[in-house]
Amino acid sequence: MLTEREIVATLEMVKSEHLDVRTVTLGLSLLDCAGEELAAVRRRIAERIQRTAGRLVSVCDRVAQKYGIPVVNKRIAVSPIAVVAAAFAPEELVEIARTLDAAARAVHVDFIGGFSALVEKGMARGDRALIAAIPEALAVTERVCASVNVASTRTGINMDAVLRMGEVVKAAAERTRDRDGIACTKLCVFANIPEDIPFMAGAYLGVGEADAVINVGVSGPGVVRKAIDRALAENPALDLGGISEIIKRTAYKVTRVGELIGREVAEALGIPFGVVDLSLAPTPQVGDSVGEIFQSLGLHGIGVPGSTAALALLNDAVKKGGAFASSRVGGLSGAFIPVSEDLNIAEAARRGILGIEKLEALTSVCSVGLDMVALPGDTPAETISAILADEMAIGVINQKAAAARLIPVPGKRAGERAVFGGLLGEATIIPVNCGTAENRFVRRGGLIPAPIHSLRN
Amino acid sequence: MKKAILSILGRDRPGIVAAVARGLLDLDCNIENVSMAMLQTEFAGIFLVGMPEGVTVGEIEETLTARLDPLGLQVVVKPCTPPGLEEPAVRSEPFVITSRGPDRKGLVAHIAEVIARHGVNITRLQAVFKGGSHPADNLMIFEVEVPEAVDAGTLRRELHAAAERLGLEITLQHSYIFETLHRI
Repeated sequence: MLTEREIVATLEMVKSEHLDVRTVTLGLSLLDCAGEELAAVRRRIAERIQRTAGRLVSVCDRVAQKYGIPVVNKRIAVSPIAVVAAAFAPEELVEIARTLDAAARAVHVDFIGGFSALVEKGMARGDRALIAAIPEALAVTERVCASVNVASTRTGINMDAVLRMGEVVKAAAERTRDRDGIACTKLCVFANIPEDIPFMAGAYLGVGEADAVINVGVSGPGVVRKAIDRALAENPALDLGGISEIIKRTAYKVTRVGELIGREVAEALGIPFGVVDLSLAPTPQVGDSVGEIFQSLGLHGIGVPGSTAALALLNDAVKKGGAFASSRVGGLSGAFIPVSEDLNIAEAARRGILGIEKLEALTSVCSVGLDMVALPGDTPAETISAILADEMAIGVINQKAAAARLIPVPGKRAGERAVFGGLLGEATIIPVNCGTAENRFVRRGGLIPAPIHSLRN
Repeated sequence: MKKAILSILGRDRPGIVAAVARGLLDLDCNIENVSMAMLQTEFAGIFLVGMPEGVTVGEIEETLTARLDPLGLQVVVKPCTPPGLEEPAVRSEPFVITSRGPDRKGLVAHIAEVIARHGVNITRLQAVFKGGSHPADNLMIFEVEVPEAVDAGTLRRELHAAAERLGLEITLQHSYIFETLHRI
């Protein structure tokens, strides 16, 4: 027998607190689509996506309606294209990106991830070609997302790849100059990239995964914030240990919803269920913000002293709640702080409370990294590489995923606004300290060795 | 064993359940199920009882009326249909229909009629109408069993159409979502 309280609380979570399943992402192996003839590879990829993902959107919509929980996005993550299409030249890889884009459009998914390469230890021919193709591929497509893993705790940081990615980020921005460098919003540079992320732009299907798998990304920063606010209204003296408990319980609930929806979609499609990724992923709407949680915790805004501790508390409690709710938790699982996609974080950046240095500190305790950060257009490629290297070091040393989605906005300076639209939002361009100075460190290249696993301090 | 179903209605006060149970025990009846509810100041109880050989529905009604009438309670007793004589069970799924919105006459009737038209059985109804504009103050929760043969999409559309005419927000959700969210 259900209680009135359970029913009303559920309705409120959906209606007022933006509880939803942020994405159901179909992971799809394309490894057996590989070949040497471009037209045949493109045909096989298109057919595979159409055949496996054809019903994805309709099934998600039906399950969403059954439970009254919106499934906001339906997406596809494919095997790393640098492996699938290792035989091809950059211009041919752009054609494959077009195939992915058209296939995604045909099955009505909003993003397809996996235009990716794994180069944490070295670059093979296919990797070099794919990386060279990224700026053009992201400029001529709408839905394709790219990621490049340049570092890992096991192997260290491939600084040659980091240096190259600085150039690629700059080129991608330049190639979409008329849209504030929007291509860069679809490009992540990673350390320790998980193989089962359902969230974009980092989603791809790892080579250790099955033919197809359903991974689910759940969110709910609004639900967490309201739960904290309610608890504090009932007991204003609640301490941080008590708040952590509230966040854990809320994360538990949100994760359970994700698993329920994911398992049912997977069963209907006849595809194994993979993981729930419980990440507090904001959208540019009031009430759906990670930044607002900081204010509920008692901080003036994200970026002020205390923010790193607050984020550590939040991220850890989310992971604990998620891990208790489901034994199939994976992906990034934690809190995201994408600057342009969160109204409150974007505002903190605009007011100067949050700079790139504090953002970097925050990424050492949250689940991703420097995400959707708009930088001055004149930031040189080697400075971009140096920022990437810093972020990769945080991931490698802390044995966690770390990523950077940086947008050097062409023709714009610090303090001006970059507008990407929709879920990607808009942000004030933030300055980079000594951003235009020469950086011989990153130009040295080579491999920063893997970290020592003892003497941990 | 033959069974009877009893309903007891009246203003709430201490001792109602004790009086009913003692009366039934004196007749050697066995209480199998009880459901009781309080609505504002009124008590309503339903008792399903097993009757020993020789005891009739009329005797139960007579005995209980004699004891409960002085307490201002009404008693209705009727024989229960033995299991197995009803129609075969229809395969169905549990859903919850919830509506919120301004109070007015006829809300329950209009929504319940849509539900009935689809052959959907209401297994539990909670409704609170306190007036005013706070959503939680005017709430209907229908727990229903939707037969597999019923098209949930059509039911949903008709519920939404009725709710729109009445100025209500309405949702139809599989009941499992509530258990998933709130229970370990």
